[in-house]
Amino acid sequence: MSDWEPKIVSFLCNWCSYGAADLAGVGRMQYPPNIRIIRIPCTGRMSPKFALAALREGADGVWVSG
Amino acid sequence: MVKQGKYEAALKIIMKDLPLPGVLGRICPHECEDACRRCDVDEPVAIRNLKRLAADQFDPRKIDIQCAPARDEKVAIIGSGPAGLSSAYHLARKGIKSTIYEALPEAGGMLRVGIPDHRLPRQILDNEIELITNLGVELRTNSPLGPDLSVEDLFNQGYKAVYLGLGAHKGINLGIPGEETTGVRQGVDFLREVNLTGKTDIGRKVAIIGGGNVAIDVARCAVRFGADEVQIIYRRTRKEMPAWEEEIQAAEDEGVKIAYLAAPQEVLVKKGLVCGLKCIKMELGEPDASGRRRPVPVKNSEYVVDIDQLIPAIGQRLDDSTIKNVTDLNFTKWGTIQVDPITFATDRDGLFAGGDMQTGPSVAIAAIAAGREAAESIIRYLDGQDMSAGRAPLTIENPVYKAIPENQSVNPRKHMPELAIEKRAGNFDEVELGYDEESGKAEAERCLNCGYCSECFQCVDVCLADAIIHDDKPLDKEIEVGSIILSPGFKPFDPSKFDIYGYSNFDNVITSMEMERILSATGPYQGHLLRPSDRKEPKKIAWLQCIGSRDNNRCDNGYCSSVCCMYAVKEAVIAKEHADYELDAAIFFMDMRTFGKDFERYYDNAREKEGVRFVRSRIHTIEEDPATKNLSMRYSDEKGNIIIEQFDLVVLSVGLEIPPEISELAANLEIELTQGNFSKTSAFEPVSTSRDGVFVCGAFQGPKDIPQSVVDASAAAAAAGEILSASRNTLTKVREKIPEINVTGDRPRIGVFVCKCGINIAGVIDVPGVRDYAATLPYVEYVDDNLYTCSQDTQDEMTEIIKTKNLNRVVVAACTPKTHEPLFQETLVNAGLNKYLFEMTNIRNQASWVHKNCPELATQKAKDLVRMAVTKVALMEPLEEAELQVTHTALVLGGGIAGMSSAKSLADQGYETHLVEQSSQLGGQALNLYKTINEENVQENLLALIDEINKSDKINLHLNSTITEVEGFVGNFKSTITTKAGDEQTQVIDYGIAVLATGAVPFLPQEYNYGNDPRIITSLELDKKFIADDPSLKEINSAAFIQCVGSREPDRPYCSRVCCTHSISNALELKKRNPDMNIYILYRDIRTYGEREYLYKEARERGIIFIRYSLDNKPEVSIKDGKLMLKVIDHVLDLPLLIEADLLTLATAIIPNKDEVLANFFKVAMNEDGFFIERHVKLGPSEFATDGVFLCGMAHYPKPIDEAIAQGKAAASRAVTLLSKETVNTSGTVAKTDPSMCSACGVCIAICPYSAPLFTEAGPFAGKAEINPVLCKGCGLCVASCRSGAIHLKGFDNDQIFAQIFALNEAA
Repeated sequence: MSDWEPKIVSFLCNWCSYGAADLAGVGRMQYPPNIRIIRIPCTGRMSPKFALAALREGADGVWVSG
Repeated sequence: MVKQGKYEAALKIIMKDLPLPGVLGRICPHECEDACRRCDVDEPVAIRNLKRLAADQFDPRKIDIQCAPARDEKVAIIGSGPAGLSSAYHLARKGIKSTIYEALPEAGGMLRVGIPDHRLPRQILDNEIELITNLGVELRTNSPLGPDLSVEDLFNQGYKAVYLGLGAHKGINLGIPGEETTGVRQGVDFLREVNLTGKTDIGRKVAIIGGGNVAIDVARCAVRFGADEVQIIYRRTRKEMPAWEEEIQAAEDEGVKIAYLAAPQEVLVKKGLVCGLKCIKMELGEPDASGRRRPVPVKNSEYVVDIDQLIPAIGQRLDDSTIKNVTDLNFTKWGTIQVDPITFATDRDGLFAGGDMQTGPSVAIAAIAAGREAAESIIRYLDGQDMSAGRAPLTIENPVYKAIPENQSVNPRKHMPELAIEKRAGNFDEVELGYDEESGKAEAERCLNCGYCSECFQCVDVCLADAIIHDDKPLDKEIEVGSIILSPGFKPFDPSKFDIYGYSNFDNVITSMEMERILSATGPYQGHLLRPSDRKEPKKIAWLQCIGSRDNNRCDNGYCSSVCCMYAVKEAVIAKEHADYELDAAIFFMDMRTFGKDFERYYDNAREKEGVRFVRSRIHTIEEDPATKNLSMRYSDEKGNIIIEQFDLVVLSVGLEIPPEISELAANLEIELTQGNFSKTSAFEPVSTSRDGVFVCGAFQGPKDIPQSVVDASAAAAAAGEILSASRNTLTKVREKIPEINVTGDRPRIGVFVCKCGINIAGVIDVPGVRDYAATLPYVEYVDDNLYTCSQDTQDEMTEIIKTKNLNRVVVAACTPKTHEPLFQETLVNAGLNKYLFEMTNIRNQASWVHKNCPELATQKAKDLVRMAVTKVALMEPLEEAELQVTHTALVLGGGIAGMSSAKSLADQGYETHLVEQSSQLGGQALNLYKTINEENVQENLLALIDEINKSDKINLHLNSTITEVEGFVGNFKSTITTKAGDEQTQVIDYGIAVLATGAVPFLPQEYNYGNDPRIITSLELDKKFIADDPSLKEINSAAFIQCVGSREPDRPYCSRVCCTHSISNALELKKRNPDMNIYILYRDIRTYGEREYLYKEARERGIIFIRYSLDNKPEVSIKDGKLMLKVIDHVLDLPLLIEADLLTLATAIIPNKDEVLANFFKVAMNEDGFFIERHVKLGPSEFATDGVFLCGMAHYPKPIDEAIAQGKAAASRAVTLLSKETVNTSGTVAKTDPSMCSACGVCIAICPYSAPLFTEAGPFAGKAEINPVLCKGCGLCVASCRSGAIHLKGFDNDQIFAQIFALNEAA
């Protein structure tokens, strides 16, 4: 086992997935702290450039949810 | 505290009021113990001894006593007894360092010279006087008042106030001959000598006169000094003796003789010395003023006692020789000082007094209380404040105590260990040795905690927000109102009175409310599904329905509580979700009542997909296996078989009931109640109580769930608004508008506020670390961390900081922007900043709460998130919100009972309303209904409502009309109304809000031979016969009803809610018309929710026969030889049953209109069944997600008249929140095109779901896209789709999101 930990960037829709991430907190669900969330107003706002930029900045994965 | 061994904390609490804990823990007469409610069980808790234990275990001198900042004024205290010491202590705590003048060589007053050491060791008193002098109090002994020191001198020396606490040190004479002889001494003088010098001449045979503690003290001292005979002479019996029983007992143990019913008459003298005492025997006569029986001498009963010492101890009084002449100091007729009973101020300005000199001889605790009160007065006197304001004596009326458990076991108080009698002679060692820790804890355990809060004040220390105010007092206020809305709620039924369920005795029988807590993440097991007895995961759980509902035998709640079936199904499903193992969840019920919107679908899903077991049954008993704590449940199934099944956990689905205090409130308000104690209302005024102007909502109106409560609440607000519309906005305050500072072009100056959220964030994340990290980021000018950033005081602080630090951007790292962003934005506005110069980052819900096991990584994540937010906020620009005028006109679509109620409410609240009805008359489906469940005539009431609509000058009625176009948005809609009466006419109207009340229609069945025989009709057709008073109804001998026709079927999986009640009500009506009629109701579950259940009960009592059928075995209807025959499988006998009927009523479903065109007009959604989808199932039932569009009536879901009217009013109420505004603001986070970049491809126009982009028609950019900011919802779809990069989404623009991405990977 290596010590490698992935870095994940997620783009979450303000109306659904971002709220779901809030609820996961309310429910005290535990998950690894490898993720950085960027709130967007709607996944319709998501641009491929954002995903590419995140990967270029060193992200190992990009997750868009909405 | 003592129970938990927290002696220091205990002392802190004691010493808030008492400076001498160890002293009082020994000598206090503990009257408090008489009030102890444990007296009702066995003996009071030994409160005094426990306080002593605290003082024994922790040195009171080490207690940190908080004192106010020192003040300059000087106060003199005369006397260092308990009154003087207490006033010095309390003055010191208030910042006044006083000087105590003590006449004797040692301080302590009567505590020193009146109480012998075997009761109060000198060291204890010394220590506790020391704790007072440690506060800066100066003590001058050997400083009596007299020629060298008068009260006047003290005032002249600059003392601003003087407190007199001289005590009562002068013994009272017996008034008998020979009293002046050598060998006769006052008890107090004797004790003073003993205490100050440690020796005295006691003689051989001592007689002591008196029955108080002084007499006993003297006697016990005399024994210790080696007197041969010590005798107390008391004129009454032991029962009347004022000395404490334990003291009398101890004296007797030590060899003191007590002669009761005897009084001295003469001291016999020989050679100038006492040689005897002539006494007379007494008997008890009539009670005197003190209530004790007066002793009366018995004639000729004189006798002589041989003594050489006589010590009278019949009382003490003030020695007033030094204060007799003080100006304006007055005395009472009893020779005590006259003071104000509340403030302890004498008639002389600045001179106060208390203790024995003011009360006459009394207990130390009274003197200590007097000293404390005087200290308060002195402070107020020095401050020039009213000394008596707010200081009325504390009276507690009707204290509320926890009931003493009936089975409370007897457990006498712990014995106080004492010095062995043989070890007492010749010394003054302390006799009462004090509890050890173990017996102290055991004694403390005896407390019944009857007062709920023990006032340990630990919560005050623990609450970081200082939210707990213990000495808060109730306040009476009078408010003038025009209307009252009652929403007092309900109480969950308490099942402990039912022994068959064992709730009180079995650990694993819980209520549904407790189950809710167990399933909650913030519950007792942090959301893990565990059972109480052993905290193990239950493998089998049973829910028992109708506990405290539908039950007239064991409790008086005959109604259905409406909500329990659904919540039990929900709990069962959630329990299964929580269990990562195979959980057997079973619901034991009579009828499954899932009649709410989408509830039936949930029930189907629970049964078929989740595998929840539903068992139609009656519960017999529950027994517990004492070893495993598992439960064995005995029940009978539908067929009557007795079954015994084992469960690990049993949940009682408790009902809703109105507690007595709410019934009492109703009685005070003169509100009538129903049979079930709910507020009485009518179907046509569902939120009006029996008293004008008083409205009701929520479960007090009838047992109901959240959506219905929210509907009622809005309706009650509308009802109040209707009668108060004239005074709208008369009591509102206009918010001061803070001018916005122009920050455009200014270098960013960012403030970062990191929230601890109590321990929610700070418990995991290193908040100061995040704060300090933020300070290193570019443009950050200010950082802070807050306990609760959202608290009002922090908001005020933030406003000031923004102003003083000239901040122009703000980041808050706290919880979620979804709930708190508007709050912080308001703070920015208050500080003069545009509210969009703000960014919030979520380090609670998305960091501390979800990474609690890795605090370091969570802290790192929080730093990253703060960095990303800082980078983004630097790029934020002030945004404008469009301000739109609101058109104060409403449009209501649908002239049924809900639409009419809504229109009428809007009109009554003063708003012009267009009511559009597609048919030629108002009334909707209610035109077909005969009566309500309360026997109210529907047609009469409906006509009255239609009449009011017609008469209203605010309502524009459009019959035979539909709308054919909708343009605009909230506050500014425009529609065309097309009327088809003769010629088609159109009218264009402007309106601010719309209410959709388009109703529903009855389902016309294909089954059960409907349409093939006039005897087979629908429920509404039967109502029509009632309305027409059809005489043939009386001729019917046998009538049958089939329920759920078209409802709860696979292709229509919802319950139509009203049909069970409707059929039962109609069946009863038929019985009324022909009592001999045989009536059969064929049903699947009877769903007479709320107080409709009474109808069901009445129907059964009247002999109406209920036969249950199942979906897979539906009744068969045939017509043979002109006979209408029904065949149904009897659910009890499991055999086919044949019924011949003269009339068959089909309770058919209610189906929605499914008006797709209308839904598109207003961009509102419909569910799978075709009912409109509300904004929020629970909290927004009467409005749409589309702003300015509202919903009511059966277009939302099938419902009876009362609920339709309530929702009509509710929709109006919600609409008025908009109509009452002059303007509405749109969001600033909208898209904007840069026309010079736009290639006019039209993609944005094609994809926008809100029709916001349009091609500009004229001007230099004609043909380019532009976006209407009012219609734009800020989703950004157009921005992402714009191939020219011409569209920017304000607040979420490319550069801002890229900034966040680029800030991701910076090495922190």
